Amino acid sequence: MATSSKSSLRLFFWTWGILTVVFVLIGIFIPHRYMPGVMSNDANLALTTTILFTICAAPVAAGVYAGAIHILKHHRYRGDDVPPAAPPIRENTKLLVTWLTASTVLTVFVLVWGLGALAAENSTSGNPLVVDVTGQQWVWTFSYPGTQVVSNELYVPDNREVEFRVTSEDVTHGFWVVNFGVQVDANPGVWTTIHTTPDKLGTIEIRCEQFCGLNHAFMDAIGHVVTPKQFSAWLASQPARV
Amino acid sequence: MVRSKGLGVAVASVLIGGGVLALAGFALASATPHQTALQCVESTTKAHTCSLTLATYPDSLEGVHGSSGGPHPDWVTYSNDNIDVPANTTVDVTINQYDTGGEPNNPAFLDVIGTNGGFDTVNGVKTTHVTGQIGHTWTLHAIPGNGKYLWISIPLPADNASKMPVKLGIGAYPKPEVVKFSFTTGGAAVYEWNCEFPCGGSRLGNGFGEAMSSFGYMSGTLTVQ
Repeated sequence: MATSSKSSLRLFFWTWGILTVVFVLIGIFIPHRYMPGVMSNDANLALTTTILFTICAAPVAAGVYAGAIHILKHHRYRGDDVPPAAPPIRENTKLLVTWLTASTVLTVFVLVWGLGALAAENSTSGNPLVVDVTGQQWVWTFSYPGTQVVSNELYVPDNREVEFRVTSEDVTHGFWVVNFGVQVDANPGVWTTIHTTPDKLGTIEIRCEQFCGLNHAFMDAIGHVVTPKQFSAWLASQPARV
Repeated sequence: MVRSKGLGVAVASVLIGGGVLALAGFALASATPHQTALQCVESTTKAHTCSLTLATYPDSLEGVHGSSGGPHPDWVTYSNDNIDVPANTTVDVTINQYDTGGEPNNPAFLDVIGTNGGFDTVNGVKTTHVTGQIGHTWTLHAIPGNGKYLWISIPLPADNASKMPVKLGIGAYPKPEVVKFSFTTGGAAVYEWNCEFPCGGSRLGNGFGEAMSSFGYMSGTLTVQ
């Protein structure tokens, strides 16, 4: 009986270990494939956080699944009648201390990391490019204070912080720059701001992520991260508004 | 035996539930009012060119809603919602604007954007930017995921020629503002268009309700095929 119990416990730990390795590998390799293209410091931070949190969660999830498999295999009730009451679980001090310590370390770590990431997202360099973003059913428009430029496409230079000042002309929209990993609500009569620093040239996707009415699903726009020189040329090429 | 019976009941429940949900989805999709798509009329003189004529009305007593005006005869409307155009073709569009207007809520929609040549004509006068009041806009953009970007926005000046007619209805509209422009289609794709001037009623008073938030009035699709 004791041998059988030891053997099943060994199997549990093996399952736990293997599943942990599998989940860690998933955390390392999968988010890159399924998250949108990373093109800003905030998107990088979001990706790193996703990977790190997945790795932290891996042993916990693996323990739960290994436990479930162990219980299903060795402690399943096979009778047709109501099963007898299970024996009371006796306290295991070692297990309790280990479990509580590990949980505390993990949760405190993710809390500290999360607060740090939040603080990093809210920080500003002091000289951002300001872009006013207006949502209305069901399009986005972008204007550049200090110029006469208003555009339906977003243009921003790379490696310079951008401050999006976001508002709405009608209902609440959600301004989500997918590739920058930032989003903020666009509320009528209110300006909300969010910062990010693009760090990769290319095309970006902008969507509304608050259900805003009939054609909410079609409310998207495209944007471009270009070099500072290309950005200046684009600004200069825009027609002056009367 | 009891277990396999239970498993069978569970599987059957899931299948039947899925079937009921699918049927409900099909029923809802079929119940959505569809209008016959407006076809672009191919030119007999110019190759790869076709023409469309649309109109905007201050009520629904004209256009596709019929002479009774449909369920909301007092709502503003475009003459058509869904439009079919051929691929790789120059589309000449005429919009007869019969409605009055107001100050735009967003100056971005005063610009003519995305047309061939970057302009339109208003009553024969070449225009790139409308000043003053507008009645509506015809703003076309891509649907997420179709991979083909297209953005056209045409401001339709308020019909100030004769203000609102005394009597609404067929034949009672004033002389329209005639807006003409052309654009060129690419490959097959579906785009969405809508008005960006808050011309609909709303209990919130922002003009984006009623006709602006219902299919078949101030929005539609443009299918390139």
